Amino acid sequence: MTLLEGLQVLVIGLGTVFLVLIALSGAVSLESRIFNLFVKNRKEAPAAEITAKQEEVTVINASAGELKLINVDERTAAMIMAIVSDESQIPLSELKFKYIKALD
Amino acid sequence: MTYSLTDTLLKIWEMSGFANATWQQLVMILVSFVLIYLAVVKHFEPLLLLPIAFGMLLANFPMTDLLAGPLGDQPGGLLYYIYQGVELGIYPPLIFLGIGAMTDFGPLIARPSSLFLGAAAQFGIYIAFLLALALGFSPEAAASIGIIGGADGPTAIWLTTKLYQDLLPAIAIAAYSYMALIPMIQPPIMRLLTTKKEREVKMVQLREVSKAEKIVFPVVVSTLCILLLPSVAPLIGMLMLGNLLRESGVTERLSKTAQNELMNIVTIFLGVSVGAKAVGEKFLQLETIKVIILGLVAFAFSTVGGLLLGKLMCWLSGGKVNPLIGSAGVSAVPMAARVSQIEGQKANPSNFLLMHAMGPNVAGVIGSAVAAGIFYALFGG
Repeated sequence: MTLLEGLQVLVIGLGTVFLVLIALSGAVSLESRIFNLFVKNRKEAPAAEITAKQEEVTVINASAGELKLINVDERTAAMIMAIVSDESQIPLSELKFKYIKALD
Repeated sequence: MTYSLTDTLLKIWEMSGFANATWQQLVMILVSFVLIYLAVVKHFEPLLLLPIAFGMLLANFPMTDLLAGPLGDQPGGLLYYIYQGVELGIYPPLIFLGIGAMTDFGPLIARPSSLFLGAAAQFGIYIAFLLALALGFSPEAAASIGIIGGADGPTAIWLTTKLYQDLLPAIAIAAYSYMALIPMIQPPIMRLLTTKKEREVKMVQLREVSKAEKIVFPVVVSTLCILLLPSVAPLIGMLMLGNLLRESGVTERLSKTAQNELMNIVTIFLGVSVGAKAVGEKFLQLETIKVIILGLVAFAFSTVGGLLLGKLMCWLSGGKVNPLIGSAGVSAVPMAARVSQIEGQKANPSNFLLMHAMGPNVAGVIGSAVAAGIFYALFGG
């Protein structure tokens, strides 16, 4: 095989890799859109039921502004903020938290 | 019958490995010691390098016939039978089954454009292929060498077994050694090709991916990839089967087996049998050194390819994509993603790129399998 033929393999090979992965990217995007549409429709219906189970929201006036705690007690929130500060190596005084919400 | 102590001792000596070892075998035994050291002490991909090194050690002991095939009524050696899993292309897809069961494709589903980076990071495969051709290798050998740039051991082993088995040990050792050396190979290239401002880019948090999306993903990928390129079926098919076992939530036992017991058993067999192919007479050649150098070139250019597309995406998105995640497009999961995270955090301590880099990282696994499938379609069979 000559180098020129090798170059052809490069163009065809890399081109095919891109083609397959671009097609895959399109398919995954489409899949996500369909699911999001489906989930959106389902969320709208039982919205009334959800309001019955109200979230417990606490608002704290911190030095850097307001912090909302949703279903989280202050002790846990303080712990989370300390961990984030430690992991990110950013002093707590330089971090701003808008809200901390407990996930089910 | 006369008995002579000297004759008996002489006979024992003549029948021993010491008297029958060739210099190549002795060198290979030393090489295996070095590899065992690297695996145990330096932790160079020990899960695979250790079995490879020990397989190499066993195969180079003289007069053991461990690799000999059956002859008449005589059965073959132990390693001959274990090697059939490589010869018949069974082990690498089984490893892919385990990888699929261990991989969370969530970051890729959350940002499908990661797949472009996984494609760009296959650039090194084709550069090494061209260079190998220029150095006089056959197209089959050049393709097997090039695939080292995919940074995916099972894929490299699978393709080399199909195209050019003589280079199998050199390619497997190069691939796994460079994967272990990614934290040393990639950072200088990353710093050379990106500005500090680019490395500092913070990316927005990925959206949450639903369970249903994760379940459908392996089915979509298998269907699309295998219909487009049937030769990728063994690798992509097994990878996605493993992932479906994981995500479906109804086959937990199978998923756990694929991730642990099966994966570990196959890893032992694959490592030992690949190492056993590193027989002195075939391994100690100039070709091996060329393979090792070309493998490094392949890794470097794959990193370059991913980074350059990362830069382009950074520019096109108005600075929303950190180009460092591009280098994670070489497979080597999760090592390459970790390197992106470390480099990103060096530039900006509050930068968390790991999950963003996992997208291109797992896309690279698919990309290198596709690249291998293309080579097989072109030069195999």
